[in-house]
Amino acid sequence: MLSVSQVSKSFPGVKSLDGVSFSAEAGQVHALLGENGAGKSTLVKIIAGVYQPDEGRIELEGRKRVWSAPQEAQAAGIHLIHQELLLFSELSVSENILIGQQPRGRFGFIDKAAERRIAREQLEALGHPLDPDALLKDLSIADQQMVEIAKAMMADTKVLILDEPTAVLSGKEVEVLFRRMRSLKETGVAVIYISHRLEEIFQIADQVTVLKDGQLVGTEPSSNLTRETMISMMVGRTIADLYPPLQLVSESAREVLTLDRVSLGRNVRNVSFALREGEILGLAGLVGAGRTELAHGLFGAQPLASGQVLLDGKAITPLTPSKAIGLGIGFLTEDRKGEGLFLDMTLAANVTAPSLHEISSAWGRDGGRERSIALEAMRQFSIAAHSPQAKVIGLSGGNQQKVLFGRWVRSCRKVLILDEPTRGVDVGAKSEIYRIIRGLADDGVAILMISSELPEVMGMCNRVIVMREGLVTGELTGAAIVEEEILHLATLDVANQAAE
Amino acid sequence: MSEEVRREPTGMTASGVSYADHLNRYGIFVFAVLLIVVGGLTSPVFLTSKNLQNIFTEAAPLGIVVIGQCLVILVRGLDLSVASVMATAAVIATEFNAVSNAMIPVIFLVCIAFSALVGLVNGLLVTKRQVSPFLATLATMIVLQGIRFSTTKGAPSGSLPEGFRFLGTGQILGIPTGIVALLILAAFFCYLLHKTGFGRRVYLVGNNPAASNLVGISSDRVTISCYVLSSVCACIGGLFLVGYVGSIDNFVGQGYELLSIVAAVMGGVALTGGRGSILGGLAGALILTVIFNLVLLNGLPSEFQYIIQGVIIIAATAFYMLRRTN
Amino acid sequence: MSLLTLDRETGRWSLAGSKATWVVLGLIACLTVAGFLLSDRFGTLRNFSNLFGQAAFLAIIAIGQTLPVLSRGIDLSIGSVIAFAAVLTSGLIDNDPSMMLPVTALVLVLGVAVGMVNATASHFLKVHPLIITLGMAAVLRGVMLVYSDTPVGGTPEDYATFAMGRIMLEEEGLTIDIWSGSGLSLAGVFCLLLYLLVYFFLKRTRSGRNIYAVGGDPDAARLSGISVYRTLLVTYGFSGFCAALAGIYLVSQQGVGSPELAVKAYELDSITPVVVGGTMLSGGVGGVGGTLLGVILMAMLGNLLNFLDISTFYQWIAQGLIIIVAVSIYVERRRRE
Repeated sequence: MLSVSQVSKSFPGVKSLDGVSFSAEAGQVHALLGENGAGKSTLVKIIAGVYQPDEGRIELEGRKRVWSAPQEAQAAGIHLIHQELLLFSELSVSENILIGQQPRGRFGFIDKAAERRIAREQLEALGHPLDPDALLKDLSIADQQMVEIAKAMMADTKVLILDEPTAVLSGKEVEVLFRRMRSLKETGVAVIYISHRLEEIFQIADQVTVLKDGQLVGTEPSSNLTRETMISMMVGRTIADLYPPLQLVSESAREVLTLDRVSLGRNVRNVSFALREGEILGLAGLVGAGRTELAHGLFGAQPLASGQVLLDGKAITPLTPSKAIGLGIGFLTEDRKGEGLFLDMTLAANVTAPSLHEISSAWGRDGGRERSIALEAMRQFSIAAHSPQAKVIGLSGGNQQKVLFGRWVRSCRKVLILDEPTRGVDVGAKSEIYRIIRGLADDGVAILMISSELPEVMGMCNRVIVMREGLVTGELTGAAIVEEEILHLATLDVANQAAE
Repeated sequence: MSEEVRREPTGMTASGVSYADHLNRYGIFVFAVLLIVVGGLTSPVFLTSKNLQNIFTEAAPLGIVVIGQCLVILVRGLDLSVASVMATAAVIATEFNAVSNAMIPVIFLVCIAFSALVGLVNGLLVTKRQVSPFLATLATMIVLQGIRFSTTKGAPSGSLPEGFRFLGTGQILGIPTGIVALLILAAFFCYLLHKTGFGRRVYLVGNNPAASNLVGISSDRVTISCYVLSSVCACIGGLFLVGYVGSIDNFVGQGYELLSIVAAVMGGVALTGGRGSILGGLAGALILTVIFNLVLLNGLPSEFQYIIQGVIIIAATAFYMLRRTN
Repeated sequence: MSLLTLDRETGRWSLAGSKATWVVLGLIACLTVAGFLLSDRFGTLRNFSNLFGQAAFLAIIAIGQTLPVLSRGIDLSIGSVIAFAAVLTSGLIDNDPSMMLPVTALVLVLGVAVGMVNATASHFLKVHPLIITLGMAAVLRGVMLVYSDTPVGGTPEDYATFAMGRIMLEEEGLTIDIWSGSGLSLAGVFCLLLYLLVYFFLKRTRSGRNIYAVGGDPDAARLSGISVYRTLLVTYGFSGFCAALAGIYLVSQQGVGSPELAVKAYELDSITPVVVGGTMLSGGVGGVGGTLLGVILMAMLGNLLNFLDISTFYQWIAQGLIIIVAVSIYVERRRRE
């Protein structure tokens, strides 16, 4: 169906793609794997006409094609679904699906009835009926994604590219998406699928192509691959031990942070647990289980509706972020760019942001002190940047995440709340971050780690608490921390359980 | 680790700042100097000390207002109420009907207190009620205008102590008073922005308000402070302008709201917040004043001021935007 | 559609239509009641008929401003375009009846052209329309003053028909009369038609929906195959057209165009009804229906204060407070997750 050969693309200072060849067959799902920065996104953007290649050719159904804009690729039947959905939250489902190509009736006015009908047909063809009049902003992310796919299928789409579609979906929603992808592929569409989650590749992909540093490592049928071979293809080396060895924490270790029937936000209700000194406590669950809300509450970024939080046995609620920081609590957000980093500012400013009082004196800010703090963080976490004055926007995802660790490691001596600490970080940097987390716990910091990646939870945590729809559904320790058990608790139907 | 290094941005100078950054940061000053050279070449009068003094004296009130405007824009805001605050401060000052120069500090304090209140309202609307800065300050501008006209019945009647003229036209050590005030304020605010924790907070909040909340900085409080400071600057600028013009009406400072925004944007203060400096904004104010001066000196009809002003606004902002996107 | 809808998430019943509609309708109702109670001249048919005509000017500039705001922009050149159009119209017609139509057409085309230049500059220079239209305002003001810095020319009596004409139903059918105090205002009827037309344009044409898409998310619009540039051309072209029309209206009303009009800050006046009517400055939400309500509200406010002998100065205070109250009610609280 589609083939690209010897495609290269350079950006100032970086050769993003170097002579990559790739092909997608009709009726197959072709997964594209690689670390962050391996060139996956660049490749699909070239295929979809967002970028123009420096060298190489694109062929669609045997004919050489050149796109100068994404619209041209779309017209030819190539549709890229971006990580950020390109939809209009204030418009209705049917308008989103048909925007720019609404059916027209008399006098060139839009035929609303036909618009609704076509939208309904499109969604039914996907097996995912939605109310065409519903406003997009009222839908769940998963439903919105279906709208986007329905929009893509409006054109006679031959190649559908999905860039990390599952990053924002819960387990059940991923299942739905995969069912739709399978039915799409039966209709003869070639699907190109980018994901970080190796487990998903086995479920959905027929072919797997691995990229590394902008070069092709290889293409294999997924049945020929194992998890280990895929990782070694992506990293170029086998990560024998991605996770540092677990340190046992005794049952009698001091309780640092205690939650007493905490409720907040839309659905977090009556959450109680304790976090011990030197412990890494995992908080597992599906996206939307209320874990991020809970983390915001523990850091004072969102008010508690009821219940209280105790630090070393003393109540500390009501809490604000600055009070939490003063007490030695740190919070590393899941949304690194949105509410973590100051992208346009220097590494030094980012590291010292929560501890401005440390670098201020009666006579103003102490630039030398700021610099030395930043240099120390760079050394401690081996952050690759040319100087403390480097802007963080120019750093890789892994280094940006390490900047955030550098920020919190100074001020938080007691509790560190980590929300998806390795999101959007490549495998190499992941293992470094795991070692940093382990080191902090060994120094006695109590760590609460929210994570949707089960291997990471299993590899890192002493204890795991599982949440579902705002409630704690169970706690696992030691050998009981296994994938099946976590998934079971994460999808447990609370109401049924109560009835039994 | 080698691959991490590979992704470092290129085009760095020894100090670690990119060339593009240098151009963005200092381009405005180069432009100001160029403009002065052009001025000197096109008009023999331009570089005389008398004319330069005129330019600076005229630029002083605008510069003072620009300082505050820069602060607000740095925290992703906009202050359309500055001109109204200037005029209102001037009207309040005349309502005192004071004769004695001893009343001047009192007048200043009352005006500053009033303008701080206006800034507080702006700040509260923008932060606590999440009204867009454009609308919030537009509304206070209109309300102030209404209050001003209804109390003065359309025409202010009071008078100012003699000493006020000194503010606009007097000299300290041979330097016009307005310039002295501007220099003192500029030095103070530069120090505040670049050398104190508060200044760093302003940039952090402007860069990413959500992130600053999560490092314990109250973005609301910082934002409100900036609106208050902007109003206070506008008030001081207004009082100096009255001193300079010598007469008072309800429209003192009219147009300064847009001129101050234009000066700040020309000086590289980004409307998206978190980027730019007061010095850039002041250079912008100077350039605007020089242009007006050159139009007059070269015998062009004063209407050309507007045309040139408009073209320069668009050209300067386009310059910054295109540089940034490249 | 039912008036009440159930929000499945919160389980709360809410009124159909936007919050803005109900707030403005409520305010209009309050003003009407106050008018009937406080003034015996307010509640007359004659006054409502007058009000209808008086609102025309604000209606024209506000509908012009609505489209740029919907597309996530703003047009601050409106004030200068109005003044320029007025001066040019009366200067070029110069009391020559044969020049009325060609000059009017020319001025309207110029208005559209100015708007298109705004759109082009903003799109290709990637500068926020706030700055571009501000720059354009300064340039136009200068050009206008070069053309004339005093009121210039004049228009024949017939030219007053647009602003002053009243439609009357008489025995021989519909007639239009300039000097009659009764009858329906021609400009008012014209504005109603204009609003109706633009309403259908926004709701039921591709170009209209594209304005919402561009205002909602310009990047998504571009990647959905919508030409953002063409959409902005339509948007700002229309606001330029309305501004020119408003300038013509003033000439028609006053008989001559004066450069003084440029200092009246009409661009800011035009924004009030738009935002009070619920169109968000952040783009993609709202419409001309809300703007019409906003215009009615502001016109009634002026009218009522007039009857109560309250000076226009207080009208400013009321206008500012209405903006603050309305807009801070509409703002949706940011939600987490």
